[in-house]
Amino acid sequence: MNFKEALNSGKFAVTAEVGPPKGTDIKEMLHDAEALKGKLDAVNVTDNQSAVMRINSLSICKILLDMGHEPILQMTCRDRNRIGLQSDLLGASVLGIRNVLCMTGDHPNAGDHKEAKSVYDIESVQLLRVVDSLNNGKDMMGNDMKGATDFFQGAVVTPEADPVEPQLMKFEKKVAAGANFFQTQAIYDIGKFKEFMTYAKKFPVKILAGLVLLKSAGMANYMNKFVPGIKVPGDLIDELKAAGKGNALDTGINIAARHIRQLKEEEICDGVHIMAIGAEDKVPLIMERAGLL
Amino acid sequence: MIITKKRDLEELKENIKNYNSFFLIGCSECATLCGTGGEPELQAMKETLEAEGKKVTGSFVAKTGCQVLGTKVELKPFKDALAGTDCILVMSCGAGTQTAVELFQDTAVYPTNDSLFLGNMTRMQMFDQRCSLCGKCVLDKTGGICPVTACPKGLLNGPCGGTNEGKCEVSPDMECAWVRIYNRMKRIDQLEEMKKIAEPKDWSAGNTPMNLNAREKKGGG
Repeated sequence: MNFKEALNSGKFAVTAEVGPPKGTDIKEMLHDAEALKGKLDAVNVTDNQSAVMRINSLSICKILLDMGHEPILQMTCRDRNRIGLQSDLLGASVLGIRNVLCMTGDHPNAGDHKEAKSVYDIESVQLLRVVDSLNNGKDMMGNDMKGATDFFQGAVVTPEADPVEPQLMKFEKKVAAGANFFQTQAIYDIGKFKEFMTYAKKFPVKILAGLVLLKSAGMANYMNKFVPGIKVPGDLIDELKAAGKGNALDTGINIAARHIRQLKEEEICDGVHIMAIGAEDKVPLIMERAGLL
Repeated sequence: MIITKKRDLEELKENIKNYNSFFLIGCSECATLCGTGGEPELQAMKETLEAEGKKVTGSFVAKTGCQVLGTKVELKPFKDALAGTDCILVMSCGAGTQTAVELFQDTAVYPTNDSLFLGNMTRMQMFDQRCSLCGKCVLDKTGGICPVTACPKGLLNGPCGGTNEGKCEVSPDMECAWVRIYNRMKRIDQLEEMKKIAEPKDWSAGNTPMNLNAREKKGGG
């Protein structure tokens, strides 16, 4: 069952992400990917995440596909203009990649090539429309193509953006532009997320709650301070603190597992997207404790 | 106006090391307001050059340095000074420098300033960029606040996920352009307009070099 079929079947879907490394040594990444095999409904491959230059998403998607994974090609608009984006989408299609996550992309200012000229020729909403157009056999300028793509396209949303109203307006634009599924920015307050889902369920899209594995109280504080749209509640930080240094990661795994269990049991959303950020090897353990394996 | 700032002096010295006599051209418009090409700056440049053992044959502040013909006429009284000059320094913007290049085809011309942006002056010698001269205005759809300029990503369909308490992820000193637009649209009761998907922008409208003939054609042509 591919990702689209899994979501449409009503199954509680689980995705995680693989971050391509900087450099050509992919042994560790392959090792992590191997451990995730057969456990996920799809695996996201990030696109020069945080504007840090790495192997491109497309190549790693193809490698993971050949391993038997169901990859989701993350595509940002930061580094390619509309010609480059469409060309890469066609390339992904002929390589057998079926899922694409359309994003605007972190600004180069966040990364390790701050002097780069950012592109942003088009942006996430428009990229979703481009994918829709390619799926219908035409490029974005309306030119006929020899052979259409067949992408299952998704997007991202930040349920805890501050202020949230303009973010939700954009969410609705993404729905209108053809997004089939959403993977959210990390959420930690399930109560608040339920409110978002009450709103989001009005739309014909599948929502996967984003979960970033908490590795320490320090990490939680850091994200609260520096990562827009992420709010780790104080009681979770206290829980990590109480666990002490040696056990914080294990407690973080428990928190993630607990949240997944609640999201699934209360049928709050359609699945989860687990972002372990450097601890991909812990994803199977999170799933196990959440009762998913 | 065109916002300029002084170039690194060491770089400029390297540019002009092989020249000995200089003529300085400032501008009474933007460069004067920016403090980069008015009378005081020309005087300071003269002193700097003389301290380096260079000769300054003359200097003048053009009324509008980007006006080629007007500047040519204004320069007529300086004919003698210019005849004994082997390098011209233009203390305005890149447009002013290229006016001089057009007028003095056999003389070296160097800019003393970097040209930064089209700016609004908010207070004396404080400038904000609000318009990028992109060639196709979007202000009619964004409550009069330009996201092409004010959003570092130039987004046209709303904020990215980096909005943080109304600030921009690129710098906490910057307001999120789309939060500003949202608040403005709400105030003027145009949120419906903001819900419409903006088409990909026609960036070719800003392809360089541009030119424009705004003369009215005679005879109704």
